Amino acid sequence: MGNKQKLKFEFMRGFVAIAIAIAVAFIFIFICADDPAKALNCLLIRPIISNGALNVSSILTILGRMTPIIFTGLAVCVMFSANQFNLAGEGTVMAGGFVAALLAIYVPMAAGLHPVVCILVGAVVGGLLMLIPAIAKVKLNASEMVCSLMLNYVVLYVIMHFLSNVFADRSQGSTQTYPFLETAKVAKMVPGTELTWGFVIAIIATILVGFFMYRTRWGYTIRMIGINESFSKYSGMRVGGVIVLSQVIGGVLSGMGGAIEVLGRYNTFLWKDLPGYGWTGITVAILAKNNPLAIPFAALFIAYLNRGCELMSIYASVPAEMIDIIQAVIFLFFAAEQFMSKTRQKMVVKETKEELAKKQQEAAVEGGNA
Amino acid sequence: MLEQIFSMIFTTSFGYSIIRITSPILFAALAAVVAEKAGVTNIGLEGIMMISALFGVLFAYWTSYWWVGVIGAVVVGIILALIIGIFALKLKTDIILAGIAINLVGSGGTIFLLYLFTGLKGNTASLTTPGMLTPKINIPILESIPVLGPIFSGHSILTYVAFILVFLVWVLLYKTAIGLQIRAVGENSNAADSVGISVLKIQYIALGISGALSGLGGAYMSMYYSQSWNTGIVAGRGFIALAAQAMGQGEPLGTMFASLFFGFASALGNKMEGMQGFSSFLVSAIPYVATIIGLILYAATQVRRVKRVKNNGKKKNAEAK
Amino acid sequence: MADNEYVVQMKGITKVYPNGIAANQGVDFNVKRGEIHALMGENGAGKSTLMKMLFGLEQPTEGEIYVNGEKVSLTSPTVAISKGIGMVHQHFMLVPNLTVAENMVLGMEPKHKGMFMDYKKAVEITEEYAKKYNLHVDPNAKVRDIPVGMKQKVEILKALVRGAKILILDEPTAVLTTQETEELFKELIHLKEQGYTMIFISHKLHEIKQITDRLTIMRSGKSMGVYQTADISKEEISRLMVGRDVILTVEKDQAQPTDVVLRVRDLEYTNEWNKKMLNKLSFDVRKGEILGIAGVEGNGQRELVDMLFNLNTPDSGTATVNGQSVIGQPQRKIRDLGVSLIPEDRMTFGMAGTATIEENLMSDRSADNKYNNGPLFNMKKMHEDSDQLIKDYKVLCKSRNQQVGMLSGGNIQKVVVAREFSADPILIIADQPTRGIDVGATEFIRKKLVELSRAGAAVLLVSADLNEVMELSDSLIIMYNGGIAAYFEDTTSLTDAVMGEYMLGLKQQSDEEVRRVQHGE
Repeated sequence: MGNKQKLKFEFMRGFVAIAIAIAVAFIFIFICADDPAKALNCLLIRPIISNGALNVSSILTILGRMTPIIFTGLAVCVMFSANQFNLAGEGTVMAGGFVAALLAIYVPMAAGLHPVVCILVGAVVGGLLMLIPAIAKVKLNASEMVCSLMLNYVVLYVIMHFLSNVFADRSQGSTQTYPFLETAKVAKMVPGTELTWGFVIAIIATILVGFFMYRTRWGYTIRMIGINESFSKYSGMRVGGVIVLSQVIGGVLSGMGGAIEVLGRYNTFLWKDLPGYGWTGITVAILAKNNPLAIPFAALFIAYLNRGCELMSIYASVPAEMIDIIQAVIFLFFAAEQFMSKTRQKMVVKETKEELAKKQQEAAVEGGNA
Repeated sequence: MLEQIFSMIFTTSFGYSIIRITSPILFAALAAVVAEKAGVTNIGLEGIMMISALFGVLFAYWTSYWWVGVIGAVVVGIILALIIGIFALKLKTDIILAGIAINLVGSGGTIFLLYLFTGLKGNTASLTTPGMLTPKINIPILESIPVLGPIFSGHSILTYVAFILVFLVWVLLYKTAIGLQIRAVGENSNAADSVGISVLKIQYIALGISGALSGLGGAYMSMYYSQSWNTGIVAGRGFIALAAQAMGQGEPLGTMFASLFFGFASALGNKMEGMQGFSSFLVSAIPYVATIIGLILYAATQVRRVKRVKNNGKKKNAEAK
Repeated sequence: MADNEYVVQMKGITKVYPNGIAANQGVDFNVKRGEIHALMGENGAGKSTLMKMLFGLEQPTEGEIYVNGEKVSLTSPTVAISKGIGMVHQHFMLVPNLTVAENMVLGMEPKHKGMFMDYKKAVEITEEYAKKYNLHVDPNAKVRDIPVGMKQKVEILKALVRGAKILILDEPTAVLTTQETEELFKELIHLKEQGYTMIFISHKLHEIKQITDRLTIMRSGKSMGVYQTADISKEEISRLMVGRDVILTVEKDQAQPTDVVLRVRDLEYTNEWNKKMLNKLSFDVRKGEILGIAGVEGNGQRELVDMLFNLNTPDSGTATVNGQSVIGQPQRKIRDLGVSLIPEDRMTFGMAGTATIEENLMSDRSADNKYNNGPLFNMKKMHEDSDQLIKDYKVLCKSRNQQVGMLSGGNIQKVVVAREFSADPILIIADQPTRGIDVGATEFIRKKLVELSRAGAAVLLVSADLNEVMELSDSLIIMYNGGIAAYFEDTTSLTDAVMGEYMLGLKQQSDEEVRRVQHGE
């Protein structure tokens, strides 16, 4: 199959997967909404258009919510490209956020510099954490998957310890830190919304990761290792080192995402559980087929659905968590290689036939000329 | 300080709580054992436990029989595992991703499903009646023995099932025809295929059993441990189970000890909560840290073993010369 | 009506694979009841394909198969087994962590009470069959712990317990030591006495002579006839087996070899089954020459190539390229020394299937200065060079962005060759460079090899294709049992018949003659 045909098929397949998911959503809505029409309106239209006009505040919310999942999506994208099933996105997001928060509270710095330092340190912490499963994998062939899952909980409990026993603001009713210094906050792009300059950083990160994966030797090596590790070794690539690198980059990106989210959205650090962005990042990366440049679009789609479900829960009393079922359905069909394989087969046969016919025609013409 | 800890550990109530906390992990870990033996990694255990925990409560509520709830949880567990199977084995979704998708449904989708079926939001505490909970069993004779009685008697019926299942899973894997085929498929599917065993069928069966076992784990959580279903009910136990399987080297008995180790550390964490100078959070982190260290040590011994086998072969050769 | 003297009759069998390769062309193959029948032929002669069809793993494109005079359609191994055909695979189909008895009954487990496995019964069955057929195995040992010879016995017993009356033995002695082979032969004769029929695939002439009644020789997908083993000389077998059919000639000038580039000395390797694969192997390859390595596969060629590219480590010995060791060195360093490899297994080592042609062409040089501007790739240069390579090597494709996996075998190999040849190698190791690809691509690749050697590269050509190795090589080694059976400084007057005798171990040059391949020092 040619590249164009393949792209066409992939689009068609993605469309069908989404259609199935939306159909599932429709069924649920008809079962549990009092006013299904209103619920559908909330899910599909209201996130952008409300009362006949653009729903600007909702659109800005969607853009704001995209920020952390773009980062985790990119992280997963880099790691999965190297065929590394590292699932520590959750833990590194939280660790990056927490460390950034501490710097934001206790280390005064100049206004412009402060958030930058916090975010960078958060990124470094994320990267360092990923060294654990990465090195265990490369040196000892220990499963990076189980190791990274455990790492998430280690990070969670260690942070909970520091949060509640060391850095807690006892004057507050719930467990949280002291407020961040004003200088440390990631500024809002539009005051009074969830959209911060973090969004711009996320888009820049997307472009950088895109360049990294497709325009540098390291990204190239990551992709080749993911496709065929033996080939990469035989070609003289430094396989072990690059596998570690891919996971460290994953950690840097999710750590950065965590720091930006914490400093942009909140005034104190108050996560008491793993934030979930790591898992959403996997969905996003699957939807984007591990292509970094497609990550923002996948993130937009998920954020849009999220917002739709949220509106639906507010106005049509359908719980927002329906999003998880829709996500799971799309996710499953997107990742299913054999899904619609018969259609693909038909397309291949059709294309081959057409090519043969063309060749025959050419041969006939040549024969005629002779 | 140490005295304080020791006096805490050497109490019967501490032993009792270890067993209580271990049970759900054990169910899921055994589920991981069966699936892994057939060569399929079921990372969806977390989600399956979550969802079957919910349906366990619902079925018990609808029928007011706790045992219908348990059966319902098992059936739901089997269905979910088979869904993973269909996507992974037939439609060729990576099995890790298929498991993650089920976990997604487990983490948020359950809240929606709960609302869909009952109109409740977030937990089922209002549905619970004592008849819906799995009963506690006092074991005659044992219960009157000092020390042992208070530790081993008076648990949920499912706790006993969990520990009996360690034996049953061992029997299944090592004493039955289907178990033999499961092990053959997991280790060398070509060999199994060459003697006419349907590899796919065996993998579906193993996944089904794995689903049933994790379903029991879910039922234990919502119908005994937490007395009702809520959003944080499983809290990573499905993942811990995967680690317990790895630490137990995939064998039922070893996996049981690994699960007990988790149970011990968690129980310790619970007890130390509020104790001066100890952070319950750090104690809670111990089993996870230990798993990482355990995994790394195990992997290191494997690497060494391969080298040794190779060298031994070479040595034998030299001697032969 | 088929003649009942024969238990197996395969008539006019033709097999064409989807990629267009005709592995069997009108083959007749008949086996008499109670005989040991040898099926002989070089690698690629079509023996395996023929046997796969008899065991139901492949279906013939044309032709008929009769078992015990009854026409059968063997659609799967299960069907073949039900017809009394059993196969002992060269790569054992055993589960290492199960015991011998468990492996024996896998898929047909004796049970009691419906589901429990009757392990005692399994052991009994194993012991019963072991005793009956004089094949001694330990039923309770785990397969991973038993020696290769016993594993093979388990395989034979597995076939017998499933009711096989006709046994296909695929190169059963390839993994065995001499004593184990002797033991196996006694057992096979014992089986024959009990009325079993055996098809014995082998290249080893003395074994064939020792144990078989009749033999069928195959060459290039066709049968070269059926003979009584006692009536045919080893030389005659070798002549029939080893020979060239279609001769693609390649024009080449006389080689002018100069300095030694690759120097291999006393390379020794014993594999994990304790079989010696390389035995004090020493040779040199010089600048400007093509040194061919011929030989029946499995005589150490693969191991040699693996050592030279650090895909495996030898027990002892050295290999140097321009004086620098390549043993145990990272592939990056080996490539930096100027070594290129066309790997035998191109799907595993030669390509990344879902990557583009361009990405495959750049795999060994992506870090080179000329393709990088600081941290970024110089895409323009990459595109230019890829397009040039695609053009120079006549890779038939839509564009450099097409996935390599979508190309035909010949074009995939051209991509591999384009990359390896364009790396300015001083030493090219070409391992089966034209196996399984079309004639056009084959000719093209061969011409390129000659061109590069004449331009000053040292070429080590490993090939099981006699035509290729004789046409291309300036001088030639024949490998046998991990060592060198013969060295020919000049290949022009070399005949198939002579080659065959060395390849099959009928002859062996003296140490002095062999040592001529070590130039200087």
